[in-house]
Amino acid sequence: MEGAALLERLAAGAPLTWRVATIRDIRPETEHAKTLVLQVPEWPGHLAGQHVDVRLTADDGYQAQRSYSIASAPAGPDVELTIERIDDGEVSPYLTDFAQVGDQFELRGPIGGYFVWKASLEGPLLLVGGGSGLVPLMAMLRHRRAAGSDGDARLLLSAREAEDILYREELDHMGEDSVAIQITLTRGKPPAGWSGSTGRINADMLAALGPPPSEHPRVYVCGPTPFVEEAARLLVGLGHDPSIVHTERFGPSGG
Amino acid sequence: MEMHTDGNEIAGLLQEVFVAEITDTMRMCESCHHESPLGAHRLYTGAGYVLRCPNCGDMAAAIAVRPDNYALTMRGTWMFGRVE
Repeated sequence: MEGAALLERLAAGAPLTWRVATIRDIRPETEHAKTLVLQVPEWPGHLAGQHVDVRLTADDGYQAQRSYSIASAPAGPDVELTIERIDDGEVSPYLTDFAQVGDQFELRGPIGGYFVWKASLEGPLLLVGGGSGLVPLMAMLRHRRAAGSDGDARLLLSAREAEDILYREELDHMGEDSVAIQITLTRGKPPAGWSGSTGRINADMLAALGPPPSEHPRVYVCGPTPFVEEAARLLVGLGHDPSIVHTERFGPSGG
Repeated sequence: MEMHTDGNEIAGLLQEVFVAEITDTMRMCESCHHESPLGAHRLYTGAGYVLRCPNCGDMAAAIAVRPDNYALTMRGTWMFGRVE
């Protein structure tokens, strides 16, 4: 077994331990979302698509735990989480509204091995994201860029309104560079000069973006459950092999 | 509206129980014989966690986290990767 694969295997078999993460920087992304740049001691490294569990403990001992996808590329020195504020959530309002640089909280990870992409994998990459489902897909695109990969990569992103699009500038740069990006807005009137699509994702959008099933792209779909169910149904309907459509769903509330 | 998510969400809990990452472990449903990775299974969360076959909805696992142990019911055939 080659060294990297062995290390990966060992890391995968290690028991999960809670570590104390320190917020090193906070970047506002949209009105409702912020990226927390975390310093995590003895972070073992991660793969694009993996997540972490975050645990907050109140003064009275009450604990709340949530999963958040890692937004940063594996090569980066820090762990970045992009947190979207869920109004009645237990964890996300704290992380987006109250957490300050220097604050600490518990975190364990990296977690997950199914919803993972590596630049060494061959074949085209097709990413389909709904809302903050973009976060793990962004880790994949950042990983692809950091690895210098020029493989075929395409992204279909569904957002409510233009102001809700995460990493807008970075996506623009990636779009000019080598990633085919299509964005569709599902709510309200698109801004003047909007060149993307409007309305919910449909089979025509996926077919137009490609690549066709005959090219056997690796497909990753992430978003709220109804979005993922619909996207997966459309992709399989277009002829993509269900076994290469990787899915990750998040719930409607509770964050 | 369906309120499930999927097995990815409890990847951390599964790693606690199995001391290994198993969301890419394949499982064959005993009811419909469909094979799919645990990460793709539907997850229903209540007092505990229930994983269901993404194809037919039959139960795959029920997990309760108790003070002293994990109470785990598993159904179907779980194909754990071999460690070389």
